[in-house]
Amino acid sequence: MGAQPILPGPGRIARTSNPRRLSPTMLWLVAAVFVLQLLSSAAAIFFLRGQMLDVVRADRVRQVLDVRDDLLATYLQGGRPALAQMIVRQQGSAADPTVFIALTGGPTPLLSNLARVPALDTAPRPRPVMVHLGSDIPDIEGMAIAGQLSDGERLIVGVMGATESRFNLAFATAGGLTILVAVALATASALLLGVEISRRTHAIAETAAQLASGNFGARLPESHSGDGFDHLRLQMNRMAERIDTLVSELSSVSASLAHDLRSPVARLSAAIDTALDRVEEPVALEALQAARENADGLRHMLDTALEITRLEGGAVADRRLPIDLARVVEDMAELYEPLAEQSGVLLETRLEPVVVTCDRELLSRAIANLIDNALKYGARRVVLSTSAGPGAGAGPGMAEIAVLDDGPGIPPQDRDRAVERFIRLDNARTLPGGGLGLAMVQAVARLHGGEFTLSDGEGPGRRGLLATLHLPR
Amino acid sequence: MSARILLIEDDTQIGDYIARGLDEEGFVVDRADNGRDGLFMATDSQFDVVVLDRMLPAMDGLSVLKAMRAADVDTPVLMLSALGSTDDRVSGLTAGADDYLGKPFSFAELLARVQALVRRRAGPTRAQDTTLRCGELELDRLTRVVRRGGRKIALQPREFRLLEYLMMHQGEVVTRTMLLEAVWDYHFDPGTNVIDVHISRLRRKIDDGEERVLFHTVRGAGYRLAAD
Repeated sequence: MGAQPILPGPGRIARTSNPRRLSPTMLWLVAAVFVLQLLSSAAAIFFLRGQMLDVVRADRVRQVLDVRDDLLATYLQGGRPALAQMIVRQQGSAADPTVFIALTGGPTPLLSNLARVPALDTAPRPRPVMVHLGSDIPDIEGMAIAGQLSDGERLIVGVMGATESRFNLAFATAGGLTILVAVALATASALLLGVEISRRTHAIAETAAQLASGNFGARLPESHSGDGFDHLRLQMNRMAERIDTLVSELSSVSASLAHDLRSPVARLSAAIDTALDRVEEPVALEALQAARENADGLRHMLDTALEITRLEGGAVADRRLPIDLARVVEDMAELYEPLAEQSGVLLETRLEPVVVTCDRELLSRAIANLIDNALKYGARRVVLSTSAGPGAGAGPGMAEIAVLDDGPGIPPQDRDRAVERFIRLDNARTLPGGGLGLAMVQAVARLHGGEFTLSDGEGPGRRGLLATLHLPR
Repeated sequence: MSARILLIEDDTQIGDYIARGLDEEGFVVDRADNGRDGLFMATDSQFDVVVLDRMLPAMDGLSVLKAMRAADVDTPVLMLSALGSTDDRVSGLTAGADDYLGKPFSFAELLARVQALVRRRAGPTRAQDTTLRCGELELDRLTRVVRRGGRKIALQPREFRLLEYLMMHQGEVVTRTMLLEAVWDYHFDPGTNVIDVHISRLRRKIDDGEERVLFHTVRGAGYRLAAD
């Protein structure tokens, strides 16, 4: 009846759950926004630096020109002595230690606030120059204007100051701070946004996964905020509603179809029986017998499908009694032992007494299905076991009935589908049975408030299948 | 005198099929196609077995059965139903049916069950006998010893019960489903030949090396244990 495949077909089931993390697209987007933001801040800082440098430079040019004009005026009024005196006074008063003056001519050049006459050509505008303040002091950047006096000597006036490098340092600091703040803000907002988007999309994806796994009652909370996510949730819920309706319609249709098919199948069997009694010809007899077997198979499928529908709907009388599972399993083992021996299969039992309130008939049918399955799919050894299950002794726990075989098993990704009605996995198609066996077992387990699980067997390379009914005690 | 059967079935095709089959087996068949007529006939005249469909027009099978039992008609009733589940079987049996058969069924299955009911009513029941005999095969129900001629046969407990049931119904056709119900108390069809293997084991112990075989396979129906 049920099914155990060897390998899954190509392009089977899509993975439904992913680890929670940001998508690469999201990361690229965040990174691009961040880089653009940094570039624009850098451009603004650079522009500001240029503007400020221009203003400061113009200021200093005016200062240089003012000092030079004062000195020239003194020279014009009092000649060279007055000029020299003013230069000395300027030095002595230390009016502005950044202003330096040099006057050539005489035994030594007259110097104020500098140690050597800077090398500078005569020009109408101030120019950058290196100022030598002493042998043990490094030269300082400055700006100076050089002019020729009427007596042929040269007057050089300038101001000192590592203006550009100081500005550069200040702007580098500002730039660095800006980058730090920008990085912090961008990271924080990216994380917040990413986590929020991730949280919402994962919530939607999880509901979709539940729908995909057959829980058609799964719905998303609707907030009616009207945003895109809310719209998505609303549409997801409408879709789920529609799927739910279609699926329940489908199963009720299939149940009533199964029911309606029983009478025609009965008549078919009857007609075949009538013919079987009349026919003597061996070929016709053989054909009729084959038809009879198929009619029986069809009847069996319809019966099982209806039974599953009834079990799933809970439409069965409660005939549960406290019974020792070991007894139930032992009886089934006894029933199947000769058949197993004839098929060359070793049927073993590992029974531990555990009393469970259960329906013996239904549990026996479930166990029969599992043994049938194991025998049908080529197991060489089948072990039936009962146990108190994990957590034994800790109050009302679970009990387990397990059927372990060393057959081909079912790949993990196909196990959910294997317990669906009318699902038969690849290599099962050629074998008789309706693909209802495992669905029936699951329905029995659920009716008892338990669960039915499929897992790896114990064979070499985890071969085989372990089918377990978990029942509450 | 041949046994009289009352067949209460509204499906003409299935009814014809059952009636024709029973007729060929030598039964006298009277028919009703609704519950009210069926109840009237069942209380009015003597039948050996009533074959009663569960779903009938005018009056459903379960009500017919209850009314029969209320009127002290103790004719054995074999109930037929398209509702083949265990629940329906239980409710049919508690309402007083002697046997229950889910549709669709094979005629052989129905015939075996009808014959069993007829025989139970007519012949001396073996239920009280402490020793069952079939030819030179002897089964002592108290000492649980089985002998064939001078040979003592060792049987497993389940084999003993299987043989006991076959001997109690010797001469009758016993179907696999009947054995599963009576010997194992399961009311479902395992869909495989589990019973056949049990029978062939038991048959080897009883018939191997004997001149006359006691186990007979009835094609399309089941088994018959008989000394003839």
